[in-house]
This record gives sequence, C-alpha cells and structure tokens, in this order.
Amino acid sequence: MESLHPRVRLLWAGRTVVFASVLLGLAVLADRLVVSVPLDLVAVGWGVLVVLGAVHAVFAHRIWRFGLQDDALFLVRGVLTRTDTSVPYVRVQHVDTTRGPVERAAGLASVVVYTAGSRGADITIPGLRPERATELRERLRDLASESEATDAV
Amino acid sequence: MRRLHPRSAVLRVGRAAVQGAVFGFFVGTALAGSLGLPAWVGPALAPLGATVTGGFALVRYYRFRYEIVDETLAVESGVLARQSREIPLGRIQNVDLRQGVLNRLLGLTIVDFETAGGSTTEASLDAVAPEEADRLRRLVQQFDRESRDRAAGTVDSSADETDSEASSESAADDEVTDLFAFSWRDLLTYAVVSVRPAAPVLTLAGLPLGGDLVAAIVRFNLTLVGAEPALTPSVLEPFGPPRLVALALLTLVEFLLAALVVSVVLTVVEYYDFRLFREGDDLRYQRGLVRRYSGTIPLSKVQTVTVKENVLMRRFGLATLVVETAGYGGGTQQSEQGVAVPMAPREEVYELARDIEPFGTFEFERPPTRARRRYAFRFAVVAAVLNGVGYAVDTFLLESGDWWVLLGLFVLVPLAAHLRWRHRGFALDDDVLATRAGFWSQTTRIVPYYRVQTVFVGRSPFQRRRDLATVTADTASTASVLGGSATAYDVDEETATDLRTELRKRLYTDLLARKRARRMDESGR
Repeated sequence: MESLHPRVRLLWAGRTVVFASVLLGLAVLADRLVVSVPLDLVAVGWGVLVVLGAVHAVFAHRIWRFGLQDDALFLVRGVLTRTDTSVPYVRVQHVDTTRGPVERAAGLASVVVYTAGSRGADITIPGLRPERATELRERLRDLASESEATDAV
Repeated sequence: MRRLHPRSAVLRVGRAAVQGAVFGFFVGTALAGSLGLPAWVGPALAPLGATVTGGFALVRYYRFRYEIVDETLAVESGVLARQSREIPLGRIQNVDLRQGVLNRLLGLTIVDFETAGGSTTEASLDAVAPEEADRLRRLVQQFDRESRDRAAGTVDSSADETDSEASSESAADDEVTDLFAFSWRDLLTYAVVSVRPAAPVLTLAGLPLGGDLVAAIVRFNLTLVGAEPALTPSVLEPFGPPRLVALALLTLVEFLLAALVVSVVLTVVEYYDFRLFREGDDLRYQRGLVRRYSGTIPLSKVQTVTVKENVLMRRFGLATLVVETAGYGGGTQQSEQGVAVPMAPREEVYELARDIEPFGTFEFERPPTRARRRYAFRFAVVAAVLNGVGYAVDTFLLESGDWWVLLGLFVLVPLAAHLRWRHRGFALDDDVLATRAGFWSQTTRIVPYYRVQTVFVGRSPFQRRRDLATVTADTASTASVLGGSATAYDVDEETATDLRTELRKRLYTDLLARKRARRMDESGR
C-alpha cells in the first residue's frame, strides 16, 4: 500500500486556511456594513478552524492509503468515518490525471478514476507526484483494458 | 431524416407565440411608461413578439430531424448552435413514451431515449404520432434481440437474409403476455396502503393559494376551540393545556385526512389503468389518468431489483416491485420510474423478481446484537433531546408542569431499536447479493454479483467502537429515491472484510461464467 506525498498536507491545510479566511472576511464585512460582530471571538474561531484543519490534514494523510491489488484498486481514507473502497478494474470506465492551479504550484497531481456506478462514480487519488500520477493512470488504463469489460455497464 | 409530427409544430409555435406576445406586451407597456411613448406601443409590440418567438419555434421545428439508420439513432437540432448527436442503439437503456393532456387531444406522443451516463434524457422527440413512437420503440427492441441472438449464434448474420427474417421473426417473438393489470379495487387499495405523509405538504407548497388555504384551516380550528381566529402566537396565551392538546389533535387529524385524500388522488392519477406486459425479453408498462406514460424495461439490462413493502402492505402480504436499469439520470422528477409492479401479493412479486434475476429463498443474516445496543443508544439520544425540548417549552411557554409525559418516549426506545435491528440484514445467494433495511418501509434490494461496481466499507467512529462496519455494493442503476446501491448495515468487522472479498471474487467469476456461457452457445450451433 502506498501513501500520498507529504506535501498534500500543506495543500489540505492551506484549503482550510483559505476557507477560514473567507469566513473571517465575511464577518469583518458584516461588522462594517450591517451589525457589530465580536471580532475577537471571530479571530479565535479563525485560529481554531486553522488548527483543526491542520490536525485533520495530518491525520488524513496518515490514514490515506491506496494500492493496486490483483483485481481491484483499493483505497483507505477518512478521518472520522473511515471508508475503504475497492474499484474492480473491469469497472473502470476511464482514468484522468488532473492538475489544478494550486496543485501545480505545490508540484502535485491527482488521478481520477471513473466508474459507471451511481454513488462515488468518480474516485480521486490526490497528492501524487506528477510522474507517479501519469504512471498510475497508464497502469490503471492497462489493467482496465486487460480485464476486458465485455458488459458495457 | 424525419421530422417531428406537423401538429407538434402547431403546438410549439402556438405556445411560443403566446409567450412572445405576453412578453412583447409587457416590454411595450414598460417602455411606453418610462419613455413617455404613446399608450398603443404596448399592444403593438405584442404581435411583434409573437412573430419573433413563433418564427423561432418554427425554424427550430424545421431544424429538428431524426432517423434510425445503421443501428444508430441520429438527431440533428438547434438553430443558432447546431447539434447533431448519434446514439448507438445497443447503448439505449430505456425508451419511454408519454402524453400530456394537449398531446392526447392532438394525437401526439413524446418519446424519450435514455442511455447510461449523462444526467439528462439523451434524446427526446417532442412529439411524434403514436404509430411512429411505436415503430421507434420496436426498432430498438428488435435491435436488442438481434444482437443478443447474434451473440448466441442463432441468427445468421449474412446481410441479405436478415431483413425479411428479422421482421417475420420479430412478429413471432413479439408475443405479448399480460402480466399484471390494476382493477379499480386494486388501484384504490394501493392508493390507501401507499399513503405518503409528505404528499399534502408538497401539494400545498405547489399550489398558488396553498399558504392561504392552510391559514384558513388554522383559523377555523382556532374558532372551534373557542379562540380568536387571529394568526399570532399571542392568541395561544390564555389557553390551558387541554385546549392546546385539543387544537394539536384537531390539526393532526386534519393533516392525516388531507394526506390520505391528496395521496390517494395523486396515486389514482398516476397509476390509473396500470398494465404490465411482457414482450419477448422486455417488460412494458403503461399508466396514468391525465398524462399517459408507457415505457419498456429491457430485462437484459436490469441492474437491481428492489422489493418494497411498507408496514401496511406487509400486514396484508403485499409488495411493490421496482426494476432499475442504468438509464435514468438524477431522476428527481419522477420517483415512479422503474416501478414494474406497484402492488401485488408478495409471492407474485417474488415470482416475477425471480424471473428477472434467478435467486432462491433468502436467509437474511442480521447484524450482531451489539448493533441493537447501538440503535438503542441512538434512539435514547433522540428521546433525551425531545425531552429537553419539551422541558424547555413547558418551562418557558406553557408552565403546565406536564413535561414528564415525554419520559414515556424512553419506553419506546428498546422496541424501536429492536425493530430496526430485526429488519436489517443481508444474504449471499448463489448469484445475487440481497440486502434489507427499514421497518416503516422495508426495502429489499437484489443485486446480481456481475452487476456490482465499486464496493465501499465504511466505519463511523461509533461503529469502530463496536467493531461494526457498513458495506455498500454500488451498481450502475439510478441514484433516485427508490434506487441506489445495496447496503448491508452494521455488519461485524470481520464479516465486512469477508463480504468485500467475496463480492470482488464473485464479480469476476460471474462475469467470466457469463462470457463462457455465451461462447459455448456460439460454438454449440
């Protein structure tokens, strides 16, 4: 089983910082324009959110595992509700690698695996080195076509 | 390429022209008001608007063309942004026919083609003549049968013979057997036992005067208990608890009556003259009083089979059968999609289900008894919260001191936990996985192993404490209210891992077995 690149923690923690800051900005705006808001409390809230986000990111990284088993892609994730997911190779419809602007800045990439299922029809593996992502995508594509899905759906 | 029925053009142009006229009138009046133009500008702009939108609708009608050629449905549409779409017939999951009131008067039918994937209907022909709709449906059906036969090697695929042969054969194969029909009595029974408490809420919210209607009823109730018919909380103040209880009971009874009436009417309108036929390897249904629906469910494309029984239906040994294909996307508008048999005796429903996907008698494995303790804990939390709310309301608003009545809720906790536990379970049959859940409305979902997509095993923190896990086998069927994936709730951690391994293994072996069977068939001939 493989874990994600450690830098993904930075990405996840950064995301909560941005989210918390947007909330902070909204609170300040509301304070200026609508009603007075206890800004020191809001600042504390911002701090708590950021710390929680960082802790969550650390745990999420520690728990996240994925591996190519002989008949399925297997993933373990989730800090509170832990989910393990098996995606049989026969069921893979197509595979993408994606790199958003933030991911590019962090030098990371994601692989997205699509199935025809109704729930979780797309499964994302974040925080991969770009070379690894490409390699994984090609490997998954080969595994999917080797497994010869004869039934369309 | 073919065009839609000319009468549908009349309908569309007419509709668009009316809209354009109204829009033109309002814009004209607004302009006249703000720019100080003479008053006749408003009415004068109405015909202009009608001409523009009507003309546009007419051009759209002429641009829309479709045809089934070379095993493909081709559709061309669009005036400014032109689109042409080709759908291989083998990829079409469902063909649905529907008729609104106007369409019925004009003798028109709307045909919807659904493929897997995509969140909307992939191709909608609005509208064609009923005979044309039937022809299209048959073409898709015939293609399915031929390709299946070809795979099995029964049809000689040399081109010159197939045409005449296929058509004569399809006539023979299309033997239609009636499987099921609703009499008035059945329909009314179904309407009563399938009562939906949410129906009046949704209907009132949808009615333009819904809010006023509710207000009028509340006022009426207030006069009945002898208060002023004013809609402010202050009228409740001089009330003692008996009158409050009377008011609450009265409102509840009215609500339940409304629920009954509204949902019976809705069900009757929806399922009037329901019929189910079998045509070769397809199920075909038709239903509806005001709008007529009919559609085909190809049995070879079924993803999951669901049997639903609510408390009342279980009491009378009745059940609902839902058959899902991968066709419908995000089915929010119609929870009825895929209903093969709205209501029939339980044995008949299971017989038909076995006909679709063969399976034996399920022996459901219930969650371990510690799961029941988990449910008891959860219900106890709910009861405690309700008590807290009751206590607060009593202390600050009513001051009757009777809040302790709510403590009675705790008596129900063990019963509720037991019922929830008793109705959950899963069964591994020879070819299918079956899961079951729900006391009020029990849902049994039957998934053939070879249809399983992704397998999820989830554990919430509370489940981890008790070594429990929830296993979900996803299929490609629709994630609608009725649909979704088969879920085995709160199974033992070890069982969950075994179940996951088993499902993965069976997916491959069953897929291979199916392929081998097909090849054997081919070489055998």
